[in-house]
Parts: sequence; structure tokens; C-alpha cells
Amino acid sequence: MAKVKIISAWLDACSGCHMSFLDLDEALIGLADKIELLATPITDIKEFTPADVGIIEGAVSNEHDEEVAKKIRANCKILMVWGDCAVFGGIVSMRNLFSIEEVLDRYYHTEGSICDKIPSSEDIPPLIKVKPVNQVVKVDCYVPGCPPSAKAIHYALAELLEGRIPILPSEIMRFD
Amino acid sequence: MNEITLTINDRQVKGKGGDTVLEVCQVNGIDVPTLCHLDGLTDVGACRMCVVEIEKERRPVPACTYPARDGLVVKTNTEQLEKYRRQILELIFTEHNHFCMFCEKSGDCELQQLAYRYQMDNVRYPYTFPSLSVDSLSDYLVIDHNRCILCGRCIRACNEVAASHTLDFSQRGWKTLVTADLEQPLGESACLLCGACVQACPTGAIFNKINLYKGRPDECQQINTVCPDCGVGCELNVLVKDNNLVRIEAPTLSGSKGALCRMGRFGLLEPTPSRITSPLVRNKQGELEECTLDKAVQVMAKRLAKARDGFAGMISTRLPSETLSLFNRFISEVVGSDLIDTLDGEIYRTISDGIRQFQNNKKGLDIECPIEDILEADCIIAIGADPERTNPIVSTLMRRAVSQQKAKLIVINPSRDVFPLWSDLWLKPNVDSEGTLLNGLAKILIDKGLATSGKAGADFIQSLSQYETSEVVSTTGLEKERLELAAEMYGQAERGVIIYGEELLKKNDASSITTMLHLASITGNQVGDKLRVISLKPGANSRGAWELGLAKGIKQDKPKGLYLFLADEPESEELLHWLRGVDFLVAQASYYSPVVYMADVVLPSLIWAEREGKYIAMDGRVHELKRVLEPKNGLLRDEEVLIEISKKLGRKLS
Repeated sequence: MAKVKIISAWLDACSGCHMSFLDLDEALIGLADKIELLATPITDIKEFTPADVGIIEGAVSNEHDEEVAKKIRANCKILMVWGDCAVFGGIVSMRNLFSIEEVLDRYYHTEGSICDKIPSSEDIPPLIKVKPVNQVVKVDCYVPGCPPSAKAIHYALAELLEGRIPILPSEIMRFD
Repeated sequence: MNEITLTINDRQVKGKGGDTVLEVCQVNGIDVPTLCHLDGLTDVGACRMCVVEIEKERRPVPACTYPARDGLVVKTNTEQLEKYRRQILELIFTEHNHFCMFCEKSGDCELQQLAYRYQMDNVRYPYTFPSLSVDSLSDYLVIDHNRCILCGRCIRACNEVAASHTLDFSQRGWKTLVTADLEQPLGESACLLCGACVQACPTGAIFNKINLYKGRPDECQQINTVCPDCGVGCELNVLVKDNNLVRIEAPTLSGSKGALCRMGRFGLLEPTPSRITSPLVRNKQGELEECTLDKAVQVMAKRLAKARDGFAGMISTRLPSETLSLFNRFISEVVGSDLIDTLDGEIYRTISDGIRQFQNNKKGLDIECPIEDILEADCIIAIGADPERTNPIVSTLMRRAVSQQKAKLIVINPSRDVFPLWSDLWLKPNVDSEGTLLNGLAKILIDKGLATSGKAGADFIQSLSQYETSEVVSTTGLEKERLELAAEMYGQAERGVIIYGEELLKKNDASSITTMLHLASITGNQVGDKLRVISLKPGANSRGAWELGLAKGIKQDKPKGLYLFLADEPESEELLHWLRGVDFLVAQASYYSPVVYMADVVLPSLIWAEREGKYIAMDGRVHELKRVLEPKNGLLRDEEVLIEISKKLGRKLS
């Protein structure tokens, strides 16, 4: 049987969800027979190519994130999101309580900041209001958690490999 | 109540007339999810989680407010209802900030539990991100409006359990907020810090500032014990993790004793002074120095050999009866003295004298009604009492009577109105004229025909025959009209309660207490054979100490030597003052304190959480104080210290 091709990215996040994936430990060996990682932060391949499953960690919080989310969506059949940031907006979306100007001012113009002005360049994508992934592209399945446990990630991948869209059972679902 | 039969989920079930559909479901073990419902509080149907389908109703209705009727056909678990419930949860999640990862309540949150139950793995609606404040300036509480789901449980707990009426909703619609008073910060409001709201809050919107993040209920051991802080004897549910106190809650919010006060819920968790972990004696420089128990006993023995006469014992009534009883024998058999008292003994003697002088009463303290009777009062007189300070739950029950039963509240106090927001009348008599005032009230009641004298009351009424109202007016400095008003309020009441406390008792005026009992008796304010009069007792086991005969009294002649068993009792200025002039002081105490620094010999003692034994509450009920924490550093038990000293002194302690 052909291996299931996976592409993934982390957007505005701490990378904890991908670390949780690596926490599958020996279960990764079993998975390696069934899945193939193409462009992911783990393989460090940046160019997305068509795949079966796309995975996104992190919230959408600048124009670049939006673009990455759309590219993954366009290249995958099933899009799964990992972690509270991608699912709900999570901790990074709390900056929505302030305007973007206030956030940048706070970061670059207060004590402890190492720059004296807000950096600007066309290479730096402008910030937008933070959104969970499902408000930018269509999402097929969700694995909440901060981060999701290895168990939750394993459950979701196993369900997908069985051809089912995973919905975490109450016992595995955690928001923290 | 008449029995009714309903069909719920195709099953015939029985309920009582007057039940709600939710109550019938709960009694019959039918699971209906709830969020704004809490046992002990009025249901309001705010959250709509408990929606059910009822035949012939056009739309789903909340089970918690829908009255159950005979023949009702109810469905609680259809696919459509489950969809609605999940949708409600999603909408709640979008409204404020409900990100769990840094919330103190995560793992112990009813909203989170429901989201798991409904497998809410995403939210289909945009979030609103309102900018809401966090009020953290109160001594014990934090209100984080971002976590609030506006279920109103805190508000109902504040009104119905604490009867404080501090919390309420402000604004409307999207802008609705839980607020204290007229949008005051909690710390500047009328909040009494009883914490009923903390216990009622289903999310992390109101939480306890002390011991944050120290443990979740499922990681804690929960122990039911009794509060050591006053004579009321409230039950506490203490949460403990790794031999540390995490949280204290009321076992339930329902019923007359559902409330706790700031002392029981929070005060007991406050940081404490350093513990005394070893015996201490004075060295040559006059400083306290750690030593062995042997050495401490030697110093005591030397002193006792010199003068056994005039050596007395005094003990805190925070200690359970077992320890009190042993201390009693220790002082008589080992020290060889009959001088013994408790720290609040004087108060007890006054109460007891007053009660004894009432019609040669033999019932002692049992003549007083239990504090629950305050709840049905229609008039309350608080004289020389500040229950909010000394016994806050009594003041909670008083406020409940005023707000729920429309009871009239009369405060008699020469210096201040102790219930400024609640009293109907404040009589401010001249200092030390309370006795005259009480006699004056009795006289007015008799003259107005509001008092009926039984045979037993005849002597009392006779004794007032020479009393002139004009004298009462001049002695108390009160206008006649106000005295008459107070007399009428009390005289016309059917269930009038008189509550007196420390400020009156400190005057050692037993005759005032007798007069109060007469007042209740001639106006028929009694329940069964008890009179509606309540004295506020300070110590958790004051009554136990009294019944063991410990409050004999030594204060008249200051003892030359004193064994003061202070334990973890907070010490008063008065005590410090009185101890000056005691030339040999043994203090058995838990914490370093001014008294300890006055002592010649210091012995360690356990704290409330490490002790076990029996307490007799002020209403005579016996409670069990359970050991909640293991004693620090393998400290000797209080009893063991006394027994060891006896052994070393070569005396047998029976």
C-alpha cells in the first residue's frame, strides 16, 4: 500500500504540537511504514507538494500565515489542525484584545526591547487580527490541546489511516 | 406533597408536585447537563444547557425552571437537543476569553467538562475578544470578567447563601458584567469576603487568591472537619495536597449552614508566623534558646519546687475536649494547683451567672435556642454584639432573616451601628447603661400590654413596678419615642431573637443577661422550652471547656506562675497586658509571638489542622475535629508533651 503523504507547518505557535508528535516515541516507528513526511518543519522542506493530509499547528496571525494556510489547503485532501492556537486561536489570539499598533508599540518601545523602532521591510509580513485556521480555510478535523497529548495525536492519525475523520473522544480531549 | 407521574425518555418516572423537570430527572437518575444550576440556589434558566423537549411545547424549555406536572411527556436526549447544547457551548466560548491553558480552574471547570462531554473540538463562530478588566485588589478574591459566562451563580450565592447582596449584574446585553455594589472594585465594596461566590463559580471567573495553582480537587485529599475559629462550629471541607492546605470549602451551599465566613474559608489559609519546633528556655543572657524537653522540664521543676502555691493553668478553647480534660488533670495532679481558667473563661462565667439567676434555671446554656432559629426570626435585637467580627455566620443568618423574612433589626450599641446597611433602628445608649435600657424596654412592654406574665415572670414584673421611664430616659440618654419604638418592634414580633456578645459580656454584668431572658419569657419569644436568646461564644470549644469545669477563674488574684497553653490562638492585647506581672510563665504555643517572647519556658504545640478531638459548639452540638495535616517535623502531640512533662516530674497523670 502506498504511504500516506503528509505536509505540515507551524504558524503562530510555540512548536509544542509538533514536539508532541515526536513524543509518540516508539510509535513513530510503526507510523513510518504507513506515512511519509514531505514538506514539514521536521524534514525542513519548505516547498509544499500535493499530499493526502495537511497538518497545521498555530493560529493565523500575519499575511504570511494566511498564505501558508491556503497553500497547504490547496495541496492536501484532508486538513487537520493541531493545538488550541490552530483550533480556537488560543494564547496567541489574546493580543486581539489590543490593536496591532498597541501590540507593536508595547513590544518595541517599552523597557526590555532591544530595538528602538518598529522594524519595517517588505520581507516582514504585516500582522493581522489573530484567527483560528478554520476562519481562513476549510478544516476537516481538529485535535485541540495545549499541546495535544501524543496520545491524542496518535488517535487522530490512526483514525485517518483507517479512513475515518477523527473526533477526539471526551476522555482524550484536553484544552490544556 | 402529592406524587406525580411523568414520562421522561419513554420511561415512567415519579416526582413530587412542585418539583421542576430537572429535579424529577435528578431524583430518577436521568442525566441532564447543567451549568447555571447549583444545589441550594434558586434556578433561573440562564444558560439553557438543560433544555428539554416537552410534548405540546413549541420550543425546547429549560428543565431547571419548568414545573413538572402529572402526565408530562419529556425528552432530554434527542439529537436536536444535543446539537443545541453544543451550539450553546460554542457561543459561550466565543463570548469571552475561555482559553484553558493558563487558567487556575482548568481541570476543575464545569464549562470545560461540558465542552469535553460534547466533544467540542472546534468553534464555528468568530470570537468577540471584548476587553474586560480583572479585579484583583480584594484581600482574598479575584474577579476575572474574561472568564465569566454570566450564569449568575455567584450573584445568587451572594444573595441567598451569604445574604450579602454585594454582587449583581450591571449593564445589559453584550455589556453585561457581574459587579460589586454600584460598579465598585470588590475590595472597596460591601463584600464580606465570605467566598460563597468562589465556591459557586463554575469557571475561573472568581477565584481564591490564596494558594493559587497549589492543586486541583482531583489531586487533593478532601477531609471533613470543623472550623476552629469560633463557637458556631461550621463544617469545613478541607482540600489537602502533599501535606499542604490547598483550599477550604463548605461541604454544601444549601441549607442553613451552607455559608462559611472569611475566617473559615480564607483566614485559616493565611501565611502564619514561624512555628516553634523545639522547647525553649532562657539562657544566661536572658534570650530564648532551643533545648531538650528534659532541660525545659528541669527549669519548670526547679520553679515548681520553690512555690507550688499560686501556680495556675490557663488554656485556649481552640483545643479539643480531650486536650482540655488532660490539661485539667495536669494542673491539678501534676502541678498541684486548683487555679485553672480558659482564655475566654470570664465571658462564660458572666453568661452562666446571668442564666442561673433567671428563675433558678437549671438548664444552663440549654435554655438558649440554636442559631438556626435566627433564620425564622421576625425581629432581632443585637446588643453589645458584633457578630460580623466575632461569629460571622451568625451575622449571615441575621442578614438572611432580614432580607428573606423581612425581620426587623434593632442594634443596641453605645459606640456604633454594627449593621449600618441593615438595621431598622440603632439605639445608642450611654456607656454602661444597657442594663437600665433592657429593664426600661421590659417596663414599656408591660405598660403597653405587650407582655404576658406567666407565674414565673411575676417576680420580675413586680421588680419593675417602681421603675420610671423618665429615669430610663435620663440614664440611657435615649428619647422615650425611640425606646417605645424598639419595645413595640420586639413586643409585636412573634419570633423575636435577642443576640448578645462580647462587648456586653466584658462588663461582667450578669443581671443584664437575666433581664434579656425575662424579656424573651414575658413576650413569649420561645421555641419549645428554649428562649429566643443567643449569646455569642468566642472559642470553638468554649462550651466544651465550660462543661469540663475549666473556666473556674484565676484572674482576680494574678498568679505568680502560669502554664499558658496558647496553642495557635491569636493573642489579644488584653492578654499581653494581663501577663505582665506574672513572674514565671510557661507557654505552650504553635507560633513565635509576643507572648512567647515573655515566657521563661516555651513548649511546642500543634496547630488546628494537626489536631484531632471533640469540640462542643455554642449550641451544644458535638463536632469532630479531624487531623488534616501530619504534624510538622514529627512534633510531639499536645497530649504527649503534657504526659512527658508529668513523667519527668515523677508524677502520674491519670
